[in-house]
Amino acid sequence: MRYARILVAGDELEVTINQADEIIKADGSKLDLALDAEEITWLPPVKNPGTIFALGLNYADHATELAFEPPKEPLVFIKHHNTLTGHKQPSYRPDNIEFMHYECELVAVIGKTGKNIKREDALDYVAGYTLGNDFAIRDFLENYYRPNLKVKSRDSLLPLGPWLVSPEAVPNPNNLRLTTSVNGKITQDGSTKDMIFDVPFLIEYLSKIMTLNPGDMIATGTPHGVVDVKAGDTIVCSIENIGSLETPMVSEEDFYKENY
Amino acid sequence: MLNYNSVTNTLTSKLLCVALNDSQQLEALNEEFNQKPYIKPPTEPVLYYKPRNTWSTTGETVEWAHDFDGQPVKEMAVGGSLGVVIGKTACRVSEEEALSYVGSYTLVGDYSLPEENYYRPDIKGKCLDTSAPVGPKLIPAADIPNPDALTITVNVNGTDQSSFPLSQMQRSVAQLISKISYIMTLQEGEIIAVGFAGNRVAVRQGDQVAISCDEIGSLINNLGEA
Repeated sequence: MRYARILVAGDELEVTINQADEIIKADGSKLDLALDAEEITWLPPVKNPGTIFALGLNYADHATELAFEPPKEPLVFIKHHNTLTGHKQPSYRPDNIEFMHYECELVAVIGKTGKNIKREDALDYVAGYTLGNDFAIRDFLENYYRPNLKVKSRDSLLPLGPWLVSPEAVPNPNNLRLTTSVNGKITQDGSTKDMIFDVPFLIEYLSKIMTLNPGDMIATGTPHGVVDVKAGDTIVCSIENIGSLETPMVSEEDFYKENY
Repeated sequence: MLNYNSVTNTLTSKLLCVALNDSQQLEALNEEFNQKPYIKPPTEPVLYYKPRNTWSTTGETVEWAHDFDGQPVKEMAVGGSLGVVIGKTACRVSEEEALSYVGSYTLVGDYSLPEENYYRPDIKGKCLDTSAPVGPKLIPAADIPNPDALTITVNVNGTDQSSFPLSQMQRSVAQLISKISYIMTLQEGEIIAVGFAGNRVAVRQGDQVAISCDEIGSLINNLGEA
């Protein structure tokens, strides 16, 4: 089952999407729009987002690409809700930078409260999976709480969606093909099987430190194959069994408009 | 199976803290910060989040942390900060206009494992349940025209352990609001803990801690037992 939040003609709807790609409203009626209809504005699928954890260097090949030794312990950082945006919504490239890249990531969404969760019980705490694009601006990296918030906590730079997929539709989150294309050309092609610390490990690890709550999310990191993206580019992140998340890139001025 | 509706009912706000904003601490660490892994001192505010599981208030017990083997940790530390509560949406605001976006002021306690390293995000040290009390009340911004003139003290079991004049901050309240608002749009009710004394105060199980400011009041919390 797929769950989504959409805006249609000013109304915010919580909908499900069936196997025939029909959109079903909360009252059970069918919405007379196709998934790719322009009338739909896609919102991030988690209505009340909690703490957003993200992983750095969680794929051995990407860690090598960034010239780091693979970590012995997860590199976890936190993002806030200002970063969230939906499918087909714009993300911006800051002015005067040299290198900004996407990061296609499997995101596990926590569904119930827990602390000191054992690895073998961890998936019981997952409400579903979605897809996140955890953009980074490399120019802004500094060696203090790295990756620092100026790199990773900017408005609009965590597109999430298009939908939340229930766990039974993703029987093995540790073996999903993951690809990204820029303007139709595939630039990233990996598999979640190459993740260093998998979802059950991360739930056990984080819940040893703190209580996890419904709406918390864990963005699990990205594999090899990140390239610079510019305003005007269209980025599509795809994960098998989850979906495809499209992001049009705009300039900082076009994003902030009158606040620029 | 859990359903979509279980992903609801959560608080949406933000508690953002500024580390390394004590100019004397930065001076003391200057040599270390010119070596690996830092290579050079920070050029931007050093920021971290206290996520929602940490949020608490005055009078509440701060849980004593446990290590990964389930044993009580040997040491915890506390810092006290002025808490700047945003009063209206602040997006890309200048330093000159920044204070007009403040709705009120309060106090923030940051209980954590001792700060040992600033290279990686300190999730293990900073994200402990109940480790960020905020309070005891909100003082309207109009009552505190110059927040950088305040002094924040940390008192443990009746003895002052730290006194931090905010004039000693590397970046002022207005500078921080402006800088941060160019990274992320700040919303009404979000809180920035603008700076802590470089020397965090060591605490033990059962201690009573008061973080105080003459113009705001005292934020009082007890450390839990193991």
